[in-house]
Amino acid sequence: MEKEASQLEKDHVHHVYEKIAPHFSDARYKAWPKVQKFISNQELGSLIADIGCGNGKYLHINSKVYKLGCDYCFPLVETARNDGHEVMLCHSLCLPYRNECFDAVLSIAVIHHFSTKERRMQAIKEMARILRIGGQIMIYVWAMEQNRRKFEKQDIFVPWNPSPPSCASGNPCSRGIWKLINQKDKKLALNQHSHKSDGPLEAHRKAKSSSYVGEKEIMCTLFEKSLRWSLVSKSLGSALDLSNQWHQGEICTYCTYNFHLSEPDRKKDFEQTRQSSFMKYISNLLPSCRPISEDNAFEVAVEPGPLVSYHSVAFKSCSKLSQDTKQLQVAADITHDCSSVCLPDLVSHNKDPAVTQQLKIDHHPKQATFCRPQNKSKISSSLEGTGREDTISTQNKQQQTSSNGACLRYYHVFKKGELAELIEHQVPELRIIHSYFDHANWCVIAEKTPGGNI
Amino acid sequence: MKLLTHNLLTSHVRGLRPGGGYPLGIQATEVKLSPVDFNAQFVARMVPKVQWAALLQAAQSLGHGSDLPPEPAPGYESDEDFLRRLHHVLLEVEVVEGILRCPDSGHEFPITKGIPNMLLAEEET
Repeated sequence: MEKEASQLEKDHVHHVYEKIAPHFSDARYKAWPKVQKFISNQELGSLIADIGCGNGKYLHINSKVYKLGCDYCFPLVETARNDGHEVMLCHSLCLPYRNECFDAVLSIAVIHHFSTKERRMQAIKEMARILRIGGQIMIYVWAMEQNRRKFEKQDIFVPWNPSPPSCASGNPCSRGIWKLINQKDKKLALNQHSHKSDGPLEAHRKAKSSSYVGEKEIMCTLFEKSLRWSLVSKSLGSALDLSNQWHQGEICTYCTYNFHLSEPDRKKDFEQTRQSSFMKYISNLLPSCRPISEDNAFEVAVEPGPLVSYHSVAFKSCSKLSQDTKQLQVAADITHDCSSVCLPDLVSHNKDPAVTQQLKIDHHPKQATFCRPQNKSKISSSLEGTGREDTISTQNKQQQTSSNGACLRYYHVFKKGELAELIEHQVPELRIIHSYFDHANWCVIAEKTPGGNI
Repeated sequence: MKLLTHNLLTSHVRGLRPGGGYPLGIQATEVKLSPVDFNAQFVARMVPKVQWAALLQAAQSLGHGSDLPPEPAPGYESDEDFLRRLHHVLLEVEVVEGILRCPDSGHEFPITKGIPNMLLAEEET
């Protein structure tokens, strides 16, 4: 069990963070104010350990204290080092510090990556060990209960989006992209929708297409980001967001636009049937438009479940027809990538026999192994217990080697009260001072007491 | 890696007797000096927090052993000369490349670009 838990964490925490480390310096990863305050309040000359410091975003706070960061991920640690911080490489379950040598300890968004209760407890106990009596520890973990939606399960895999559109930085956000596309190409798309290879219109379309190339490429890149973000940001617990007409309309428009970049002489009826099924599916997936934030865990959460490649089907068919159309290839890549994310319960939404048939043919062997329907219940429940480990580790290995490998991070999201209960029952040497909800996290501040085993 | 950091580090190789992993021996191949602003109060507060013998040993292995007395003298809080020398040893001497050696097991932890790698293989924990 330990070995499997450790392997799961290797595949879906460590390897992922190593891959995505270069992207961690984005502005969106700002320090949470309450954590900053906790550090700032430590008195002059305090020794503070940031366990799981990542790229060191908390290590610059309060120059009057000595901060030591550590993390399992070398690229992240290296980033922190390059910023001049004292950091090291180590594992949270085996901290290389002597007993009771720190005045304060931070564990911000770390222990939710441990895949068993025992390991989470061990991590907390290790941190309690290095804390001096009277010293305080602050722990943040992702909450299962979010403001707007709720995860259905506690053990989940969250895909990584390397570059969501950023409204703040001045780049067009996805909303803006939709508008752009809508304005510029809706007419084109609608025209094409009702005409086949009409001579003058064909020429007109080609002419228009070429003049838009630059814009389209930009929009495509931005769209790529939005689409990726949209496709993977369905939260488990949310109902299908059918009320979001704006997004439905826009994505239909864009997809129509894309489809009509391909050759006109395809089997239109079949295509349209598949297209409309796909449209329905995609439009049902889209959440409302807001910038993605690392703070808000659930925005990107999906649950391991049955494999769906049927949205890749629709795009694949188009990309086959027009291989040199960049947008379609990009879109195909994205959906293929996202299809490895195993969005749940999709087969049941689609009654189209053509798509179902195609689904069987296009079922990607590598992706499938992670998301075999019969294993859904095994993965989605807690990782305690026997009989699942082989399945999980095998699947995870194969998932990891999927060439399109959407980076999936494992999380155990905490229920309300779970973190506090874990500490109260398993870590008697810590006394909880404050327990609260902050930015989609359950948080605890606790003090080290003389009691309990060290 | 600063010597203040080193003072807090211990080896967690499996099977060690209690305290058998501390202090780690330093074998440095590259050391640099980085200026850090002096704060007397800060340095004074470090004194009760560090293991003095381990600090001395580490300083000696880097050629700074003579900077520090065998024990902090009473009234050290107001001894600026002592505090400045301690400041230098604790905060300004950095091991960039080298090895940390577990005293009991001999296990070696590399230091690369100033980053100690304290990871142990599964079987060693």
